[in-house]
Amino acid sequence: MARAFARKGKGKDVRYAAKLDAVERAVVAGLMEQVHDLVAPEPEPEPAHASDVHGDDDFAAIVSGLGGLGMGVSLSAEDQLPDDRPVPADARSFGDRDPALERLLPAGNRVDDQLSAEFRRLTEHGLRQRKARHLESAMAALRAPGSGVELDERTAIDMVVALTDVRLVLGERLGLREDADVDRLEAELDEMDDDDPRLHAMSVYDFLTWLQETLATAMLPGDHPSA
Amino acid sequence: MSIAPVEEEVVSSDSVVEPDVPWITLVWNDPVNLMSYVTYVFQSYFGYDRAKAEKLMMDVHTKGRAVVSHGPREKMEIDTEALQGYGLWATFQKDD
Repeated sequence: MARAFARKGKGKDVRYAAKLDAVERAVVAGLMEQVHDLVAPEPEPEPAHASDVHGDDDFAAIVSGLGGLGMGVSLSAEDQLPDDRPVPADARSFGDRDPALERLLPAGNRVDDQLSAEFRRLTEHGLRQRKARHLESAMAALRAPGSGVELDERTAIDMVVALTDVRLVLGERLGLREDADVDRLEAELDEMDDDDPRLHAMSVYDFLTWLQETLATAMLPGDHPSA
Repeated sequence: MSIAPVEEEVVSSDSVVEPDVPWITLVWNDPVNLMSYVTYVFQSYFGYDRAKAEKLMMDVHTKGRAVVSHGPREKMEIDTEALQGYGLWATFQKDD
């Protein structure tokens, strides 16, 4: 059973600690890996793959036993059900890109397409690099040996941002584009067969929400009785 | 208040600056971002105090969007880029 992130210590020595079992850490890291594949500026060099499990054989065994990254939750665009709903005109102005990528790298200006294109040209590469770095740092923290996850301030920022990007992609895959979609999806979930993949995806999404909520709350500045 | 130690790659536009025209950075509501996280981002990136950060967060949540900063266009582009880096749905535009 997972235990939420809590703050320990203060100032430079602050740490954020949570207890997640190996499966939970594998699922979260696997989803981060998929978002990394989506957003990183260039493909990872090939040789890194097989030896990239940080020497933790137990972890590797568990991951392979799960039958792949994300424990059955695929964030890949090809694996999604067709979505015929119209794309909101004000929200996504750049053609045929994967809407999840559009959500990670949205148009910068909703009024002026030219300014938006210029903003994208100037910022996209840097944003992709930054998001990839957050995800890499968060994955490394989740894949470190041990039964818990302990983060310093810097790594906690990487983690809370990486969790955001994973939830944005998973939320888009679940069709969550505006507040009303959450209620709609929850109503649909009640009617679904037990083996509908969206049920599992939603339970993973709820777990990520809980995890991020506890970390973001622990990180809020100026809310900590000196202890 | 401290600024979050996230590297900001400052990107400046090379187009002509229109003097004295105020620009704004907006954050739009979405169903995914958490109220606690949005408050955290406003506090740590802008250095806003808790009350101001929470008010802006509630404006995003209840009104659909909020103006989170004002200034010259270049600065608003930097703010938009940084907030998108945090996963918030940020845009910049002229303050009409």
